[in-house]
Order: sequence, then structure tokens, then C-alpha cells
Amino acid sequence: MQSKTSFFNKGLYKKNISRTWIAGLLYLIILLLLMPVSYIISIADWDNTYFVDVGISKGMCLFMHIADMPTAGLAAFIVIVLSAITFWYLFYKRDTYMMHAFPISRKSAYFTGMASILTVAVIPVVVVSIIMTIIALTVDTIALAGIWYWALIVIVSTVLFLSIAMFALMVSGQLITGIVFYGIFVMLYYLMELAFRITSSMLLFGMGASLQSQRVRILSPLQFIPGNCKVDYVARYTDSGYLRTLVMKLEGAEYLAIYFVAALVLLTVSFLLYKYKKLETVHDFIAVPFMKPVFTIGMAFFISMVAGAFVSGMYEATGNHTYGSKFAVAIISSIIIGAIIFFATQMMIEKTIRVFSAKKAMYCAGYSVAALAVLLCLRFDVFKVENKVPKASEVAWVGIESQYTMVFTSEDEINTAISLHKNFLADKKELRDVNVKYEDVSGTFFTIKYKLKNGDTITRQYQVVDTESPDVSAEYVAATQPILDFLNNPTIIKEHVIGNIWDDCHVRDMYFNTVTYDDVHNQFNYYTEYFMNLSEYERMQKYEKVYQALLKDIDDGKVFRTTFSGYSMENETKSLYNDLSFTVLNGDVPYFSDVDTFYEEQYDPRTKYDSDGQRYEQSIYCSLNIDCKNTLKALKDEGFYYSDDQVITWDEYDKLMGYSEYEDPEAY
Amino acid sequence: MIQVNNVTKKFGDFPALDGLNMHVERGAIYGLVGPNGAGKSTIIRHLCGVYKQDAGEILIEGQPVFENELLKQKMAIIPDDIFFFLQANTKDMMKFYKNMYPKFDEKLFFKIAECFPEINMKKMVRSLSKGMQKQVAFMLAIASRPEVMILDEPVDGLDPVMRRQVWSLIMSDVAETGVTVLVSSHNLRELEDVCDHVGIMNHGKLLIERSLDDLQTSITKVQVAFEGEMPELPEEIQVLKKISNGRVHTLIVKGEPRAAEQRIAALNPLLMDVLPLTLEEIFIYELGGEDYAVKDIIF
Repeated sequence: MQSKTSFFNKGLYKKNISRTWIAGLLYLIILLLLMPVSYIISIADWDNTYFVDVGISKGMCLFMHIADMPTAGLAAFIVIVLSAITFWYLFYKRDTYMMHAFPISRKSAYFTGMASILTVAVIPVVVVSIIMTIIALTVDTIALAGIWYWALIVIVSTVLFLSIAMFALMVSGQLITGIVFYGIFVMLYYLMELAFRITSSMLLFGMGASLQSQRVRILSPLQFIPGNCKVDYVARYTDSGYLRTLVMKLEGAEYLAIYFVAALVLLTVSFLLYKYKKLETVHDFIAVPFMKPVFTIGMAFFISMVAGAFVSGMYEATGNHTYGSKFAVAIISSIIIGAIIFFATQMMIEKTIRVFSAKKAMYCAGYSVAALAVLLCLRFDVFKVENKVPKASEVAWVGIESQYTMVFTSEDEINTAISLHKNFLADKKELRDVNVKYEDVSGTFFTIKYKLKNGDTITRQYQVVDTESPDVSAEYVAATQPILDFLNNPTIIKEHVIGNIWDDCHVRDMYFNTVTYDDVHNQFNYYTEYFMNLSEYERMQKYEKVYQALLKDIDDGKVFRTTFSGYSMENETKSLYNDLSFTVLNGDVPYFSDVDTFYEEQYDPRTKYDSDGQRYEQSIYCSLNIDCKNTLKALKDEGFYYSDDQVITWDEYDKLMGYSEYEDPEAY
Repeated sequence: MIQVNNVTKKFGDFPALDGLNMHVERGAIYGLVGPNGAGKSTIIRHLCGVYKQDAGEILIEGQPVFENELLKQKMAIIPDDIFFFLQANTKDMMKFYKNMYPKFDEKLFFKIAECFPEINMKKMVRSLSKGMQKQVAFMLAIASRPEVMILDEPVDGLDPVMRRQVWSLIMSDVAETGVTVLVSSHNLRELEDVCDHVGIMNHGKLLIERSLDDLQTSITKVQVAFEGEMPELPEEIQVLKKISNGRVHTLIVKGEPRAAEQRIAALNPLLMDVLPLTLEEIFIYELGGEDYAVKDIIF
């Protein structure tokens, strides 16, 4: 009868500790330097610190110090070091044979190993937390919760990364490979998504900006924990820079609970792998039979997919090519590279270069067919990547960026933007090869970005060409012109280029740069009228008149117009070299910045933000052209310039400067 | 004491053990011999609980050995390549063994250590010579007071004096405690001196398993000379090997020696000598029948 075995072996525990305590000591020293020592140094000359100047107390300073401390990264590193030392014997035949010949069951060896690793990894965290607690008790107890929440994050991270480390070490029979697998597993989801995004950014219509939409998710704990499970604070300062409020936050407890449960599951799986591990697999690249095909196919697929996309990218760099030809190059490259990787992984797994056999060739052919099927699915958008347009109910806001950046948050505007996008995609075949079809038509890119209510982002970027060109087809115009019509609606321009306060604001300042050419000295003279001799009221009167004239030009469709022409000669002859800029202000209504929202510096649908953090003014830059008759007249009437010679177009500027008409002056 | 019943183990497609049967009686010193690749180390790793067989059963004291902590506490293993913890000295290893083996006898350990005065107890074991590491392994194994000792090439790397000393330690332990010893070795002359039972393995199977006495009396070397040509031998005489040198013929005969002697004597040879075979010779002749690669080199 099989005898009962225990989970814990004291002798092995002591032996494990005797081999790992030095790593634990180094970990403790690092934590001591990072936490109490650096804090004590930062407050040593307290009266002369920045904190005193802005009204931050020692307790607040301690909390802010804790908030800056690393968590998951530290745990991830110490755990793999301790796991590798503790389970070293699994990777060397002599050691593994002898260790398993001792009267220790695998269950006992596994759980004793866990206990010793956790002891060495957790004790330094607890010791440092106790020291920080003592410090907090001597200065201010407000940081106590932060200290112990930090400790909780590090301990849960330790357990989580330990479970990943154990899984990785059980999967391989080679220590270095096990450590590499650990790195891959920790980043697995992120890397897989990255591979898909790299491929789609190079091959799929509208996915050129897909890398920008990658978001760290819970399956990537190394990146997710520092961003979502943390000790955090929000400090608000008065205009004079003095601290007004400090809100202290302990975030992500729910994620820690999920991670802890996941770690327990993974530890159990790792234990089962160990329990049923065949010890003759020591030195094997992969020690678990079911992982061999997973590894082979995973490596071959992801590497070949990214490599194929890169080959296609290189092909694209040789000239304008259609999507179809780019995809064909990518598919052929992927299949060839995939077959190479397939056999290379077989060589690693079987530790021989003699892996070529009819059986393996058949497996490789099977894999290639499957990979080809996936790539063809991508090509024909079976996964609905290119055609993905979210439902209006899922969207927090939608942004469109071309010459101007506009963000739409109202239900009507969101619905309109979605319908324009769908209309655009309906003519995908007409639009996707504009670089080849309309090679000689000037063009640009426009981006449409959906911020979803769940925090995800969908970004699509399309190459477009001038809709007014006689070379473009009626179908092309039908697909793109509605977008321009929407963006060039005067109300939309005023609301989203000037901003939400456009009809209820003061113009605080306004600058118009004039340029005259000095023939004698052969140089440009630049001048800006500041009206320093006028009172603020008089100046604002002038600004207001020009602003009203500008609004009229907007209504007339003369300014802030979006075209898909990009740089063109016509623009050169009309656009003014002179700059107009002004600042709009309403002290009572927070300014909604479309640009900041688009680039996610302000607006997060999941966050309720304090009105103290809002801005109330915005500087606007306006690119005028010779058709802006109302604005130019108002500027002249109000004394921003006196002579028409002070206003020149880019074309005139280029001629005066001696630039070739084909040269882009911005290049200079 | 040790029962191996129909054990099969495959490494990939290669059958390392192929329906192996082996039985070791309590208190026996069992020598396991076989050519390289026969499966000796593989069955020893099964007996230590390192490998798990694909089929069959391995019982020690009637219990399966795999993952059996209590049973393993009664076993001491000395593999061919010995493991000591990095940085551990002899005393550290002794403490570890003391924690592992409840019957570990510290006094006995130090008493045995007196037999090996050149071992510095405070020196890291891994820094000692291979021979000294073997000595330390023996000290630890014997002091564990095992009921079963499994030794894989135990005296490999030791000088002749030390080999003798180690064997004498084992023999005295057997005499004192009745420990069962299973020893694998290529040094057949040494095994011949110490073993009472022998098993010969090849291709993952046991070809012969017998007491050494039985084995040595089951194969005989007969040297005969006849006046003319050698007459045809009776069918009852199973000749494993025949070598002729002029009129003198050397016959390796399988079966009861006395009967073979009488049958050959009936053919009226001019000269007849019946000689016992050494274990080494038995090993070679037995494996010769198994197409062992070196069978002809020795003649």
C-alpha cells in the first residue's frame, strides 16, 4: 500500500533556505535602499525641501514616496531568481536523480520549495513594511494604509509570478529555456497581440495606426499591475503652486483578488505537471509532451506572421503596390518562413538536426495549410477587423483627425460619424488601392478613433486623395466626400476647432504676424502689433471684431476647411504665410479640448474628474488664405496691419526666397 | 525483498526495459551485470523511485517504491554520479541526511569517518576528489541504517586499497544488519568476491538470475584431447563455445558439470580437465549467445 506523504519537509526547507537566503538578503537591501533609506534622505533637511515650499507634510511625502515604489517588476525578478535556485535540481540529470531518490515525494518537494521561495521573497517585503510603519508612526499615520497596500500588491505579485515561474520551469527540462519561457509567459498575451497588430498594421486596410491602440490588459500582469494596482494620489495646487488638495488612492484590489485566484490555479497546474513529469526529460527543450506541438505551432505561426508582414513591408518600400500584391508577398513569405521555423523548433525539441522525415513533412504541410487559412481569413476579413465599426451605444466618443482634430461626444454626432465610417468602408475595394490607382493625385491620411465605454480604443487610419481632382472616380468621391462635408460644416468647425465656448467667450489675446520683404537688405522683416498703447478693454474690442469676422468666414466656408489634398500647388497660391493666433476664454465654462481628448490627455469615460483640474482657455492657431476676406478686412481695419504688402501667400514667399515651386518650403 | 515484475520502460521508441523480471531476496548481495546500454542504470533508477515504469510493478517489501517516502527512508542509494549540494561540506550533508532518514546514526557516521581520515569534514564536498566523494557517500549511506542499499558502480574511481575498505564496510554492514544490497558493476572480479546472487541483463531483460554458486556450476570449461579427430559429442551436451588448438579442444559447456564430464569421459579422451568459470567468463559466454558484440574478440 502506498504510504501517506506530507506537504512539507523540514530538512529540505532548511536546505532550500540555506541556498537562497543570500538572494533574499540582497532583495532586502534593495528594498531598504528604495524605501526607508531614500525617504529618510529626502526628508533629512526638511525645512529646505521643495515639499515645505508647496505645503506637503512629511506624512503626505511618505505616501507619495510609497506611490512611486516599484511593485510587480521587483516581484517578477526575485521570484525567477529564487525559483531557479530552489528547483535547480530539475535541470541536471545527476541532481534530479539523486534528489528524487531521497525519501521526499514530489508533492513534498514542490510545496516545500514554494514555502521556501515565499519565505525568502516575502520576509524582506514584510520587514521593510514594518520599518516604514515605524517611520510612519513617528511622522504621520496617513501613509499606513499605503504602506501595507503596497506590501499586499508586492506579495500578491510574488505569488502570481511564482506560479508563472513554476509553470515555465516545469514545462522545460533546461534551466535557461525555462527562464526564457518565464519571460515569454509573463508577456505572452501582450506579445501575441503585438504580433497581430504588427501584421495588421502592415497588411490590413485602415490598420496603419493599430499599434497605437494596444492597451495593456489583465493578461499581461507585468505591465498591468503597475498601472492598475497601485498606491496613487492626485495633488491639486493653487495658482501660486501651493498644495490645495491631496487625494490618496489605493487602486486595483479587485484585480489583486483575480490574480491571487489565478495564481492558485496555475500553481495547482504546475504541481500536476511536476507530479506527472517524466524525469528522463531532464535536458529536454520541452519536458511536457502536450506543449511540444503548442510550442512548435505557436512559434512558427507568430514568427512567420510578423516576418511575412515585414517582408511585405520591404516589398512596399520598393514602390506603390496594391493590397492584393502585398498580401500575396506576405502569405508566400509567411508560409516559407513558417516551414523553416517549424523544422527549427523540431530541431530544438529533439536536440538533433535530423528531423526531416515524411511524417514531419506531413505535419509541416498540415501546419502550413492551417496558417494559410488564417492568413486568407485575414485577407478576406473573416474576423471583421477591417470592417469593424462599433455600435453607437458602446462608444464614449469618436475622433476624426486629418487637418484638424475633432472629437464628437454627442449621440447625434457619434451616430453620424459611425454612419460616415460605414459608408466609407462600403467602398473598401475602391479606396484601398488609392496609392496605385491615383498615384499622381495629391493625398493625405485621415484617422478615425473610437474610444469605447469599456476603455478600449479602436483606431483606423486611411490613405485618401484629393476629392476635387478630376482624376478620381465618382465612386471614390461618393465614399469620401460625405466625410469632408461633415467636417466642413461651419457649426462643427466652430464647435470642434475653436471649441465648445466659441459662442460664449472672450478673446484674451490675438496675434497676426506680418511680413515685408526688404529689397535693400534682401531679407524679410517680421512684425506683430501688440497694441501696447491701448487699454485691455480697447484691445479686446479689436480682438472681438476680428473674431466675429473670422466666424463669418467660417460660415462662408473660407477657413478651417478640411480637404484630402494634403500639400498641393493650389494651397500654395492661396494659403497665407502670415500667422493668426488667438486665445478664447470663458471663466465659467470648462474648455473641452478635442486635441487633448483625442490623445487621451484629458478625457477618460471611466473617470469622474474634479472640475479643479479643468482648463478654461485655449489658444487657437488659424491658417488663413486669401479668400478670408472678412477676417483680413477686420485685421486691417483694426490695425493689425496697414498695407496689403504685409500679407503674402506661401507661393509669394517661396518665390521671394528662391525656392523651386516643386519644393516643400516646410522642408527648409 | 525486491520484486520487479514484467517492467517495461520506453524512451521514445527505444525499449530500455522490456518485460524485466528480477527478484532479490532479503539479506542478499545481488550483483547486476550487463553490457553498456543493457538497462542496468534504468532499472536502478526505477528501484530508487526516480523513474516510473510504463508497465509492470516494482515492489520493495511488497510496496511500490515510486513516491513512497516511508519506504525510501529505509533505502540508501549511491548512484554512479553522486550529488551533493553546492557549498555543502560533509557535516552539512550529514545534517541533511539526518533530516531525511529517521534512523540516521550520527555516532556510526563519525565512527565510519575514522576509517577515512583524509576527508576534511569542513571542506566543500564538491571540491573533494571523486574517490573522496564516493567515500563520503558511503559514510552517509551506511549511517542511514538502510534496509536496502542500491549501489551503481559503487567503487568506481576508488584506489584498490579504498575499494577493499569500502567493500569490507558493506560486508560488515550486511553481516551486522542483514541489509539487502543490489549492486551494479562492470568489475566482475569484485562482484564475484562479494555477491551471492547475480543477474545478467541485456537488451532490457534479465538473461540469467541465479545464485553465484549455481551459476558457476551451470557452465563449465572442459579441456580435452583425443588421439585423432574429435568425435561427435552427444546431443545432451550443450556446447556454448568450442575452440580447437591442434588436438586440444576447449569446450564451454552449459549444464551440470558432473554429467558433462561423465559424457565426455565416455568418448575416451587422451586428456580431460574440467575447470570452473569465473563470473567474467560466464558473462562473456552467456552474452556471446546473445550476439554480444565482443564475443569473438576475447579468443
